[in-house]
Amino acid sequence: MLTEFKIPEVGENISSGTAVKINVTVGQAVKKDQSLMELETDKATIEVPSTVSGVIKEILIKEGTRVKVGQVIMKIDDGAAAAPVKPVAAPIQQSTAPASKAAAPTVAPAQAAKGASMIIEFKIPDVGENIRSGNAVKINVTVGQAVKKDQALLELETDKATIEVPSSVTGIIKEILIKEGTKVNVGQVVMKIETGATVPAAPAFVPKTTAAPAPTVTAAASQPAALVVQTPIIVTKEVAAAPSVRRLARELGINVGQVAGTGPGGRISKEDVKAHAKRLITAGPVSAAVATPPLPDFAKYGEVERKPMNNIRKKTAEHLANAWSSIPHVTQFDKADSTQLENLRKKHSTPEKKLSITPFLMKIIAAALKEFPQFNASVDMASGEIILKKFYNVGIAVDTPNGLVVPVIRDVEKKAALDLSQELNTLAEKARDKKLTIEDMRGGTFTISNLGGIGGTNFTPIVNWPEVAILGVARAQIEPKFDKASGQFTPVFMLPLSLSYDHRLIDGADGARFLRWICEAIEKPTLFSELG
Amino acid sequence: MSTEHTKLVVIGGGPGGYAAAFLAADMGMETTLVDMEPNPGGVCLYRGCIPSKALLHAAKILSEARDAKEIGIDFGEPKIDIDKVRAWKNKVVSQMTGGLGVLSKQRKINFIQGRATFVSSDAINIKKTTGEEITLTFDTAILATGSTPVTLPFAPSSPRILDSTTALNMEDIPEKLLVVGGGYIGLELGTVYCELGSTVSIVETMPVLLPGVDRDLGVILENRMKKHFSAIKTNTKVNKMEEIKDGIRVTFQDKDGNLSTEDYNKVLVSIGRKPNSKNLGLENTKVTVTPRGFVEVNPQRRTTDPKIYAIGDIAGDPMLAHKASHEGRVAVEAIAGHKVAFEPQAIPAVVFTDPEIAWCGITETEATAQGRNVKVIKFPWAASGRAVTLNRTDGLTKMLIDPETERILGVSICGVGAGEMIAEGVLAVEMGAVVSDLKLSIHPHPTLSETVMETAETFFGLSTHIYRPKKA
Repeated sequence: MLTEFKIPEVGENISSGTAVKINVTVGQAVKKDQSLMELETDKATIEVPSTVSGVIKEILIKEGTRVKVGQVIMKIDDGAAAAPVKPVAAPIQQSTAPASKAAAPTVAPAQAAKGASMIIEFKIPDVGENIRSGNAVKINVTVGQAVKKDQALLELETDKATIEVPSSVTGIIKEILIKEGTKVNVGQVVMKIETGATVPAAPAFVPKTTAAPAPTVTAAASQPAALVVQTPIIVTKEVAAAPSVRRLARELGINVGQVAGTGPGGRISKEDVKAHAKRLITAGPVSAAVATPPLPDFAKYGEVERKPMNNIRKKTAEHLANAWSSIPHVTQFDKADSTQLENLRKKHSTPEKKLSITPFLMKIIAAALKEFPQFNASVDMASGEIILKKFYNVGIAVDTPNGLVVPVIRDVEKKAALDLSQELNTLAEKARDKKLTIEDMRGGTFTISNLGGIGGTNFTPIVNWPEVAILGVARAQIEPKFDKASGQFTPVFMLPLSLSYDHRLIDGADGARFLRWICEAIEKPTLFSELG
Repeated sequence: MSTEHTKLVVIGGGPGGYAAAFLAADMGMETTLVDMEPNPGGVCLYRGCIPSKALLHAAKILSEARDAKEIGIDFGEPKIDIDKVRAWKNKVVSQMTGGLGVLSKQRKINFIQGRATFVSSDAINIKKTTGEEITLTFDTAILATGSTPVTLPFAPSSPRILDSTTALNMEDIPEKLLVVGGGYIGLELGTVYCELGSTVSIVETMPVLLPGVDRDLGVILENRMKKHFSAIKTNTKVNKMEEIKDGIRVTFQDKDGNLSTEDYNKVLVSIGRKPNSKNLGLENTKVTVTPRGFVEVNPQRRTTDPKIYAIGDIAGDPMLAHKASHEGRVAVEAIAGHKVAFEPQAIPAVVFTDPEIAWCGITETEATAQGRNVKVIKFPWAASGRAVTLNRTDGLTKMLIDPETERILGVSICGVGAGEMIAEGVLAVEMGAVVSDLKLSIHPHPTLSETVMETAETFFGLSTHIYRPKKA
């Protein structure tokens, strides 16, 4: 789909600028966030990043052209058929407090509860990947001070940023075990906080707003607009930034206190402010929409238990959330008469070794993928290319006590169904024994999720990114089938199938054709002698 | 009574008000400036900074001529024509205020000489000095009415009781002068009268002169003043003042409650200044006035009345001309819709005594009060070649450094020319300079500014002109 790229809003007082440099040419593939052009305004020269990945189809301006905010300057083909995304340049948003990104602080009860009160050991929470320690640059509380949940207790300066560390509880600071300037490690106990009946309960929702909303007023420079009411950003902390840099930050609607300085002593440069602005433009309002609101206090309604997610659960959550949000999903449903497949399965099953239909489906999938190569592919939006794979590795979703894993069976088209069954059993066993290696789970080109063993009439699987399609298999049911020749209903096994696919690459008709092809293959009596 | 309209009215033509009005006009706003004087300038030019600095210049010539004896030059006793000194001082004032009047006209600012009072949130009444009265409606107003000296309630009404304004008028050189209040105004004017020939005593209720100023700087000044001033009475209150023949009889009370009396020809009362927020009709607007008389403002200097801004002394401490001008410019830019705020990291302060004391950013006294961890580095001027050539080694350059980031948080200087030198400190603090930046910037030799560089070197224990044995 062709996206009209417009000059984004780069600051309230900036309504136009000069396109001093255009960094791309027609036909060039661009990635999301890649700088398309340099916009020179009265205040600064700003790099304007692309909001989509795609190919530049048309450039409507020349270098040196005066452009206005909102003006369409390029057309970018993002490669999708009818992309549901309408890329509109995002206005700069006040970023949320860095603290909101920090994981919930870990709390360990230090001693048994005395009556209603209890002393909590407050530990430095896990603030982000690879951050093991930091400097407690500022301690915001004193011993004896009452604090609320989410109130910033201290400022932790890490290699990446200075983060406000919020209290995990409401209570009274009993002891502060560190001094300002102390180096602290994640997990280190830094304060002791007494919680209890003497302290008013924390409100369920504490808004973590450390930044004032961006001012939203424009006025003609030459006229005193009497009713202009700006709410200036309040910069609460001392910042190492030159007056001109602080001024630029205000003009761009950025709280300079939130900009990470890269200069000596953490000094913030003009470039630091622009880089921060660019990140905000790129993130846009999406980040605000995706930001998870704080959870209510469930304990108010009954007993709860909190337990940590294991690694598989964490990875599954991340992976599926990413797949779900980045792939435009469509799910196609169909049913196949699997009577003959059932017979075949039973024929090869022994009382000791029960065959599943999965290995047979794998063979059919491999054949279908050869027939429909776009289902054995990946999408490279950055370069605007489709990657077609000439190998057929099918992943099988396996339910284990620890969670979902997807071992991959390679070169399915070269293996016999019974061998596949053998290999599948081995892998499933390894999965349940937690013995799968990373290699066992890599390199898949298509995934099958068979829930038929459990039941269900149908479901909508999520595409296993970076693959583009997944087959869901539910439980086969005996249904009456009308036979035209005899004019009678005969009982047959009908197998419900669902195919979820990436609509960026696969059109609806192809999705329907692909699944129909699979159904017909299942129904084709001679198939397995052909497939071997 | 006629009614007129203006886009922007600035009430008060001091360094805050005229800076605001001039910028507004330059930015294309139709601007009206209201002040009681015939020209812009305000207290600063008419009755403050400028005339006092002119007289301090005269005082400096006298003290240098006197000190010259030490190096073999004797001018003899100076002959002072006080009428001529006053006339020269007045010329300085009229030259500068007249210049501002021209600049105002060139910018086509509607300058109205008169007194303004608010009748509502969008109109003021102006009583012009010509007697005419008008109503002026406005889109936006900037309040820049400044401050006035605080008076002692028990002081008799007498021409022998001076405030900073009448002291600058220099009617005569009293034989014996008492300065009540050891703040910067009292010390500056006391210095002027002392050098012009008065016998000057200073009385201060606090234990030290210049309360709030770092002691290591204040003590250098005090040591020199003790040589020239008749008496410095700290920890002492003035209980009573009565007019007698040829003078004022003053009753003192020391910290133990002991009373004493002494007679003076004149008494200068310089115990502080208060904001001019009364009799302005602010009760007819939505402006909020604090109990201390300041007008509440936001970082853009907008008051609680969206159409009214306030800058300078009336908008809060410190009451300094350069702070007012900066605020004035910020307010005008805010009114024009620019996203700006008054957010200095360092407002310099200068006491124009001999030696001068100047500081910016955080002071050691403030850091101690806040319990803030700072590294304090000092460089005594005895190690400065330039100070030795000036025969003025009574000086100290001091720097406050953040031990974590090595950023310069504050600079304080006592010594001749400290007021000029502090600008480098302001730049360092505002730019977020680290101590290495000052150390690695070449400073001209031989100048007092080298003390700034050498203070920075001292931070690393490597100053050229100070030897510090290495710890074993």
